[in-house]
Amino acid sequence: MLRMNRILLYGVPAILTVLAFSLIGRGVLQAQEDETLALPKELSQREVTFHVLNRLAFGPQPGQVDEVLRKGWQLWIMEQLEPDQIDDGKLEAEIRKRFPSMRMSMGEVLQEYRPRYKNRPPSRQEQRLRNQMRGKVRNELRYAVLLRAVKSRRQFQEVMVEFWRNHFNVDQSKDQVSYLANHYEEHVLRKHVFGRFGDMLMASAKHPAMLIYLDNSLSQRPPTKQEQKAMDQAKKKGKSSPYLKKLSRQRGLNENYARELFELHTFGVAQENRSGGYTQKDIVELARALTGWTVTYGQNADYGFQFSKKVHDDRPKKIMGRRFSGRDGIREGEVLIQGLANHRNTALFISKKLCKYLVNDRPSEELVQNVAKVFLKSKGDLKKVYSAILFSPDFLKRENFRAKFKTPFEFAVSAMRATGADLVDPKDTDKMLGSMGQKIYQCDDPTGYYDVAEAWLDPGVLVHRWTFALTVAGGRARGVVMPRDYYLPILGLQPKAMKARLIDTILPGGVDLRTDRVLEQAIQVDAKNRRALASKILGMLLGSPTFQQQ
Amino acid sequence: MKQTRRDFLKNTGSTVLGAGALGLLGPQLSFGDNSKWKAAQPPTLVVVYLRGGADSLNTVIPIRDPLYQQLRPTIGIPPKDTKDEKGALPLASLFGLNPSMAPLYEYYKKGMFVPIINAGSPHQTRSHFDAQDFMEYAAPGVRSITEGWLNRYLSLTKKDSDSELRAVAMQPLLPRSLRGEYPVLAVPSSLGTGVALDAFDSLYMCKEDREMMMRAEREERKRARTDEEVAGYIRQSGQNTIQMLRKVEEITSRARQSRVRYPETRFGKQMKSLAQLITGNVGLEVASVDYRGWDHHARQGGSEGKMSNMLGDVSAGLGAFAEDLGPRMNRVLVLCMSEFGRTVRENGNNGSDHGHGGFMLALGGMVKGKKVYGKWTGLETAQLWRGRDMPVHTDFRSVFFETLYRVFGLKKELNQFFPDWRPGQDAESKPLNFLNSI
Repeated sequence: MLRMNRILLYGVPAILTVLAFSLIGRGVLQAQEDETLALPKELSQREVTFHVLNRLAFGPQPGQVDEVLRKGWQLWIMEQLEPDQIDDGKLEAEIRKRFPSMRMSMGEVLQEYRPRYKNRPPSRQEQRLRNQMRGKVRNELRYAVLLRAVKSRRQFQEVMVEFWRNHFNVDQSKDQVSYLANHYEEHVLRKHVFGRFGDMLMASAKHPAMLIYLDNSLSQRPPTKQEQKAMDQAKKKGKSSPYLKKLSRQRGLNENYARELFELHTFGVAQENRSGGYTQKDIVELARALTGWTVTYGQNADYGFQFSKKVHDDRPKKIMGRRFSGRDGIREGEVLIQGLANHRNTALFISKKLCKYLVNDRPSEELVQNVAKVFLKSKGDLKKVYSAILFSPDFLKRENFRAKFKTPFEFAVSAMRATGADLVDPKDTDKMLGSMGQKIYQCDDPTGYYDVAEAWLDPGVLVHRWTFALTVAGGRARGVVMPRDYYLPILGLQPKAMKARLIDTILPGGVDLRTDRVLEQAIQVDAKNRRALASKILGMLLGSPTFQQQ
Repeated sequence: MKQTRRDFLKNTGSTVLGAGALGLLGPQLSFGDNSKWKAAQPPTLVVVYLRGGADSLNTVIPIRDPLYQQLRPTIGIPPKDTKDEKGALPLASLFGLNPSMAPLYEYYKKGMFVPIINAGSPHQTRSHFDAQDFMEYAAPGVRSITEGWLNRYLSLTKKDSDSELRAVAMQPLLPRSLRGEYPVLAVPSSLGTGVALDAFDSLYMCKEDREMMMRAEREERKRARTDEEVAGYIRQSGQNTIQMLRKVEEITSRARQSRVRYPETRFGKQMKSLAQLITGNVGLEVASVDYRGWDHHARQGGSEGKMSNMLGDVSAGLGAFAEDLGPRMNRVLVLCMSEFGRTVRENGNNGSDHGHGGFMLALGGMVKGKKVYGKWTGLETAQLWRGRDMPVHTDFRSVFFETLYRVFGLKKELNQFFPDWRPGQDAESKPLNFLNSI
C-alpha cells in the first residue's frame, strides 16, 4: 500500500496505475499455465524487470534482474525517480578527480584549458599546446558521459540526461563550445533533468554553449534609419570615428536560434493546417526579441551569459498574435520562452518524443495525449511527465517488449554493463561510437541524432557492434576490463548449462528461437576448450539480434 | 517496423504521366532492361548531398549583377582578382564560379561540369530536416512517403540477378535517399572486418541445418511476437551486412593503386574509396556521400573563409575522382545538391540565413557542357521569393527525372515515381535537357 501511495503522489492517475498492476498480476498466472507456446499476452515479472532495466537503465548488470525482482521493480522505479537519494559518491569522486573540468565554472575552464598566447602571432608550440588542451577538455566531457552511463547507480537519471542531451544538442567542436559544453552538461541538463521543462529550456537559452552553437550570441538589432544614414554618409565622405566604427560592427539579426527554439526545442516543425503553429514572421520577431542575449566575451573568471541592452531591439513586436511593447528588455524574451515552454504544442511535441524514447518508435496517440495532459497540468514537471509514461498501461505491453533497436551508445554501454566490465579508459569506446555515426557531443546538426530504430539499422553498421562484442568477450577491448574471475564460475559447467547460464546473465529475457538453435550447434562443435567456448558464446550473445534490442 | 517498409506504389496517390511527358526529353538509348549490363558495367550515379543549406550565390556567382555586391558587402566575391581577393572564375553569361573551385572549373572548360541555378523544392519549408526529407524522398509535402528516391529506383528495377552491391553510401549511416526496402550498404570507414563477419556468419545467415532453422522460423511466425519480429529485421540487416561487406573486402583487396592524388580529407578519402568500388566492376549503380556543415549563419567568408574552404575540398575531391576514373566518367554522373539556398542579403554576422532556391552541380561525360542551366531573374526584391530569397525556377524533381531517364534509361517506370508530380506540369517542372544519353 505504501508503494501505491507513493505512486499517487507523483500524480499518476490512479486508474492507470491499478490497471498496470492488475495486468502484470494476470501475466504471471498465464505465463505459468502455458510455457511452451509462449504466447502470454502479458509479460512475466522477470520479463517486466528486464524490460524496466533495459529502458530505464542502460541494461542490467550481472544479477541485477534478480536483485530488482526481489526488491520489486515498482520500488526500484520509485528510487530511481529520486536520484538524489541514491548514493553515487564514489563515481562522482572519480569524475571529479579524473575530469576536473566537469566541476569548474566556465571562466575556470577557459583559464585552465585555454593557455594564453604570449607571442603575437602565437608560436607553433603555443598553438600546439592550445590544441592539446582543447582536445583534453573535450575528451573529459565525452569520457565523463560514458563513465556515468556505464557506472552510475542513478541509471534512470543517466538515461534521461541522454535524452535531453540529444534534444538540446550542442556540438563541442564548434568554436568556443569546446570549453563550455562541460558546464552545459552539468548546469543545464543534469541540473534540470527531474525539474521543470521550462527551467531547462530557459537555462539552455541563457547558456553560452547554446548561444554560441546557434549563433544567438551574435544576433543584434539592425541599425536604425538614422544610424544607417550616418554610416552611408561617412562612407561616401570617407570619414570615420569611434562611434561610426562601433556602428559598423553592429550588424544585425541572426535567426538561427529563434528558428530552432520553435522547431527543435518546443513546437516541432511547423505543419500546415495545424492551429497554433508559427510562421517565418514569428521566427524573425522572436529573433528580434532575443537580440542582446549574448555572452561576456573574454577570458574573465566570471565568463557567462549577458544581456546587452545596447544591441537589443526595443521596437514593438508581434509574435503569434501577441503584442510586445519592446521596452521590457530581457523580460520580453523570458516571457516568450516561458510561454513557449508551457504551450500545448510543446506539451504534445515533447510528450511524443519522450514516449518514442521510453515506449516505442510509434507510440499510440492515446498515450501521447495523456502524457501531454500531465505535462500541461503540471506545467512541465518532468518527474510527473516521466511517471505518466512509466506507469501507463502501454509501457508494459508485450508488443513493446524489446520493440526498440538500441542506438550505438545504448549498445556499447549495455554491453559493458551486461558483462560487469569496468570502463577504465573510455578512449577506444568513444572512438568506436564515432565510427558507428554517433559521436558524443559532436552531432553537428542541431536536430540531434535520429531517435528511431531504422536510422541505426542500415546494412553495414552491425559489423562495428560485432567487432566490439568479440573484443569485449575476448578481454581484448582496450580500456574495457572484465572482472578477472568472470568466466570462473561457469568453466566447470557442461556446455549446455554454460550456454543457459550465459543467456540468463546477458539476456535474462531469453533469446529468440533461431539464435538459440545456432548457439546449440556452436557448443557441439566447440565443446573441448571451455574457456574459449565461454568467450565465444558470450561474444555471440552480445552481437546477437536480441542483444541489439531493448 | 512494418509500417516503415511500406510499399510505395500501393500507398501513394501518384499521378500517372500523360503519354507526352517523356517526349519532353527526346530520344535516348534504352537501358531499361538491365540484363544488358551483365557484359558491360552499368552507369553509376553519385549523389553528393551538401547538408545544411549551401549558399548558391557564393558558389555560382551572378558577378555581372550589380545588386550582388550591394546585397553582400562583406561576403560578396569580386568578379576579378583584386589586390587582396581572388575573383570568380568566369562561366557563361553573367556568372562566375567560386574561386576555390579551380579543379571543377577545369572540367567546366572541358564541357563535363555544369551548374544549375535557382533549383530546389517548391515547398515553402525553411527547416533543414523537412526540406532534406522532402528532397530525399522526392516528395515535397507528402509525409506518407518513407522510402528514399534512390531506394525506390533500386526496388523498381530489382532483378533476381542483381549484384550484391548495386548501391552504397560512403559513410556510417545511410542518407534518407537510400533508405528503404532495397538493401544498401553503409560502407565502414575502415575495413578489415573479416573476423567479425566470419564469427557472426552462422548466427545471422542461419545456413547450417536449414531444416531446423525453417522450423524455428515457422514457429516464430506462428507466435507473432513483436520482439521476434524485430529480431528478424536485425537478422536481415546482418545478412546483408555479411554479404555486401565480403564483396567490398574482396574488391578493395584486389584494387589497383591509383596514382591520382586525392585531398587528405574525409571527403577525399570517401571519393577515393568510391572510385575503387566503381573500378572494381561489381555493378555499382548508385552511391551517395554526405558532406555536412553548410549552415553558415556566421562567418561564412567570401573568396576565402569557411565556405570557400569547403567548396575547395568538394572541388578537389571531385576533380581527383574524375581524373582517377578517366574515360569511365562517360558512364558516371555526379550530382551535388543541398536542401535549400540562403538569404540573398547577408545577415548581421558575415553569414546568411535559411533561404529558398538553391543550386545543383553536375559532373560527368554525359553532361551537355559549357553552360549554366536554369533561369535567372535577377536580384531585385520584386523578383525574389517572398521578397528575400532566391526563387525556385527548376523543380529538383525535373533534374531527378531527367537523371533517371538518361542515366538508367527508365521510361514507363517513371510514370508513378514522383507522387503528385509529372514533368512539364508547370514551368518549373520542365526538364532542362542538360544530359546526353550514354
